[in-house]
Amino acid sequence: MAEAPAKSAFTGHDQPAGAKSFILFRRPTAKTGLVAWLTTVDHKKIGMLYGFFAACFFLLGGVEALLIRTQLLVPNNHFVSAHFYSELFTMHGTTMIFLAVMPLNAAFFNLLVPIQIGARDVAFPRLNAFSLWVFVAGAIILNAGWFLKAGAPAAGWFGYAPLTSKTFTPDISADLWTVGLQVLGVSSIVASLNFIATIVNLRAPGLTMMRLPVFTWMALITSFLIIMAMPSIAIALVEVIFDRHFGTNFFEVSNGGQPILWQHLFWIFGHPEVYILILPAMGYISEILPTFSRRPLFGYPIVVFSGAMIGFIGFGVWSHHMFTTGMGTVATSAFALATMAIAVPTGVKIFNWIGTLWGGHLRMRPPMLFALGFIWLFMMGGFSGVMHSAAPADSQQHNSYFVVAHFHYVLIGGSTFALLAAIHYWFPKFFGRTINEFWGKVSFWVIFVGFNTTFFPMHFLGLNGMPRRTWTYDANMGWNEGNFISSLGAYLLGLGILIYLAAAVWSYFRGEKAGPDPWDARTLEWSIPSPPPEYNFAVIPTVHARDAWWYEKSHPAEIAREKSAHARDEAAHGGIHLPDQSWYPLVAAAGLLTAGLCFAHDNFVGAIAGGAILFAGIYLWSLEGPGGYHVHPETPADAASH
Amino acid sequence: MRRPLIPRKLAPCLRALPALAGLALLTGCWLDGRQSTFDVKGPVARAQLDLFMVTVYVTAVIFVVVGAVLAYAMIKFRARTAADERAEPPPQGHGNFLVEIGLVSASVLCLVIIAVPTLKNIWFTYEVPDVQRANAYEITATGYQWWFKFEYPAEQIDGVGPLVTGNELVIPAGRPVRVNLRTVDVIHSFWVPKLAGKVDMIPNRANHLWLQADQPGYYYGQCAEFCGDSHAIMRFRVIALGEKEFALWRANQEQPARSVAPATADAERKPRAVFASFTTHPGAALSGSAEFDADPFAAWQEKQRPDPAGENPALAAQGRRLFQEKTCIACHTIRGHEGVGVAGPDLTHVGARTTIAAGTLENTPQRMHDWIADPNHFKPGNKMFNGGYTDPATGRRLIVLNETEIDALVAYLQSLK
Repeated sequence: MAEAPAKSAFTGHDQPAGAKSFILFRRPTAKTGLVAWLTTVDHKKIGMLYGFFAACFFLLGGVEALLIRTQLLVPNNHFVSAHFYSELFTMHGTTMIFLAVMPLNAAFFNLLVPIQIGARDVAFPRLNAFSLWVFVAGAIILNAGWFLKAGAPAAGWFGYAPLTSKTFTPDISADLWTVGLQVLGVSSIVASLNFIATIVNLRAPGLTMMRLPVFTWMALITSFLIIMAMPSIAIALVEVIFDRHFGTNFFEVSNGGQPILWQHLFWIFGHPEVYILILPAMGYISEILPTFSRRPLFGYPIVVFSGAMIGFIGFGVWSHHMFTTGMGTVATSAFALATMAIAVPTGVKIFNWIGTLWGGHLRMRPPMLFALGFIWLFMMGGFSGVMHSAAPADSQQHNSYFVVAHFHYVLIGGSTFALLAAIHYWFPKFFGRTINEFWGKVSFWVIFVGFNTTFFPMHFLGLNGMPRRTWTYDANMGWNEGNFISSLGAYLLGLGILIYLAAAVWSYFRGEKAGPDPWDARTLEWSIPSPPPEYNFAVIPTVHARDAWWYEKSHPAEIAREKSAHARDEAAHGGIHLPDQSWYPLVAAAGLLTAGLCFAHDNFVGAIAGGAILFAGIYLWSLEGPGGYHVHPETPADAASH
Repeated sequence: MRRPLIPRKLAPCLRALPALAGLALLTGCWLDGRQSTFDVKGPVARAQLDLFMVTVYVTAVIFVVVGAVLAYAMIKFRARTAADERAEPPPQGHGNFLVEIGLVSASVLCLVIIAVPTLKNIWFTYEVPDVQRANAYEITATGYQWWFKFEYPAEQIDGVGPLVTGNELVIPAGRPVRVNLRTVDVIHSFWVPKLAGKVDMIPNRANHLWLQADQPGYYYGQCAEFCGDSHAIMRFRVIALGEKEFALWRANQEQPARSVAPATADAERKPRAVFASFTTHPGAALSGSAEFDADPFAAWQEKQRPDPAGENPALAAQGRRLFQEKTCIACHTIRGHEGVGVAGPDLTHVGARTTIAAGTLENTPQRMHDWIADPNHFKPGNKMFNGGYTDPATGRRLIVLNETEIDALVAYLQSLK
């Protein structure tokens, strides 16, 4: 992707004193081809790999959803077996959350965060590659069951104990699920620590926290949520793993275990997880709406603060997933009130987005359409969320299709629409071409209509008493029409996604060439060429205002002066330093993959061997050192100063 | 379901059109199902619905106001021409603190409107109100993969213990019923939408709920927590009876299983039932024929009456023998007859139930025949087939039943009124 810089004069590798030139693997230098992608430490390439894998899993999860909807097309259907259906909805949920939406957000964190803060990479580039490959390892472990006799995990995406115990799931599908999620947790925590370090330390001069682009703010808050939420599920998963492999009794009912404990630990993770999925979406929207309204975000400090509030309160509402577990009156009241409270900062965001539109010049390009669609649908999802906070009413809706409607409004109407908007918006930045506008708009309308046709009737199905995770239903329950329409809507939604992808793929090859700033945007990523060079910024920018690039555009003379001064300083320091590529992140992740798969199969020798590879990989990557080389690009500022 | 006689495959398509036009919302025709949370029949479900409607009204008002502003902004501020798009950017304002404070306050106010009745109803729905507690009738419901057992602690049978039924819970109408919720395996959830919201049955945790049916009637319920592959077909029924009728029902249930008159030479010559081989009719309900669904409560009452004329005593006697020989007794209790097992539903009065297989199939001889012949088709993974008919570890067949034997078993079980 990244073209070699115009004047890519490599000044040779720095050799820190005492470091060996190579251990086991020679440091790769390929800039193209498979080796370049496998060993890359460039945040843009890593972001694209995240995006590629996530897109594949998004399609897989979509196919699973269509099989589910086909089974429910008519009553008493036997299109798929009951067990295969359990596998489908378990893997649909797990895949969409952990293997599609989270890594798509990780893709955008990687692509955008360093550029938005005026940096040349993340704080720990090799660690970044490690989290990518660990994500791939976790995804493989989770999906391995499809190809094994045990089958895929089938206990639901929140795997309630004791359904995951040896008694009720004797095969290894539950082991693949627990180990897979555990591995994915490693990836998420590592990536989040990296982004926190990056955002805190690598901001360009002048980029104070309250000048950070809102997307980067949301990435920061999301990263904090991940490192605080993931340990909870890690503990819960360890307990299941110990119950299954080493005879402990955390959830073993006959020995006094408490399955309710799993629910608490799971949802202490699971509810922040919802915000882990939606806060980045709020970030994309807070970037896209100002650009296409040509106004700054309305109430920036309040949007940022409410994002932090959501993250904070998000840790105090987990038991609203458990209103029907007989918590008693006081606990139920506390969680009901906390849940209502979280609606306030969420509502505030919507008000501010509308405030951003107000008085703007709205340009209805595809990213803007998806962003506006997001506001409408997320608002709907928010309303049904408020309905759930009324705990006694929720005891009717809980685990019904009403809830299925609710969270798809939030996760498709919310997260996914925002991601579809973001892909359209930043596509020209990273591929140098805009996605065909006409087909982008067509895909928007097909997706919008398909989505609502699929999920709006589900509100009625739920209120009409249809439980979720229903392999089949009888013909006399009054659910036939709703399910039939919903399934047709799902096919339409699938068609819309195909149109969207086809337009994107076609545009990758044939789309209109885009300049550095096709949307007249406001943040720093639009100040550099499309696609960005490997080093992002020829000269590290100095930030003078919130929408830094918007400021630069209106103060060209000042900025040009400043840049040439910075370019001279940087040249005096030996040019732009970039880190070397490395095999070790991939090797370490392969070790984790081996360990995970062997452990799930009760092959402890293999698991220890995998662990040894993992530690060897990490040790050798520490030993090889960061390495690095210098580049000396011709900068526009140079040209101007000559 | 009362469906008109239009081709069944076409029906959903025809109905989709008006539904898509939004008529569903206006007429509420999608909310009249058998498990509708809108068609409430008791105080608990009514309180939950009333609270739900508060949330609907509040959010509807917000939706109209915010939606109108959003729609207005989208239309009014839209750049219509290329010139619009290239025009000088609008003023770069950064927000208005007073507006924000005002909107936050308004949101909080809206939430208070919801919060007050929420708190009130959390207490109301949790436990039978004090004034009625003495009058409450107690039931213990236990979840099994994939059926429900109901015990009546108030109805103790000498030398046996409490009265036990399966999958059809009969309660007194007009009286609060407190249901203890237990499970023997995984988490299940007890849900009768027209009477009360759900509460989970969690291992090692003594949960309960209360509900009340204001009028006698026939209500549909279902497990509402994923509990394994056949979760979707773990259904049950609640039948609420007037005081007198409830007393009669109890008296009959406390009787040991009914024995048919001894076989006579006459009976031997009675024609046997002829069963069609099992076929699925797309769109047809398995748990109720059209006649049944027209008035399930009447159908239930009809089911209570024995029909000696329609019975074949010789066949029923053969069925009773087979029930032992084929080891059905190991899992099913038939109180007063041979069965003593407790792993499966109590079948002492199975002939008087309207459904079998946990509310999945209407209790007709034909359906019972289908069920016994191939239980795994209707309820994949069920323990009658996996562990009873076959050894799940090896797949080896343990119980083989031919058509005649199934006929006899059906005749026997149907006679257990």
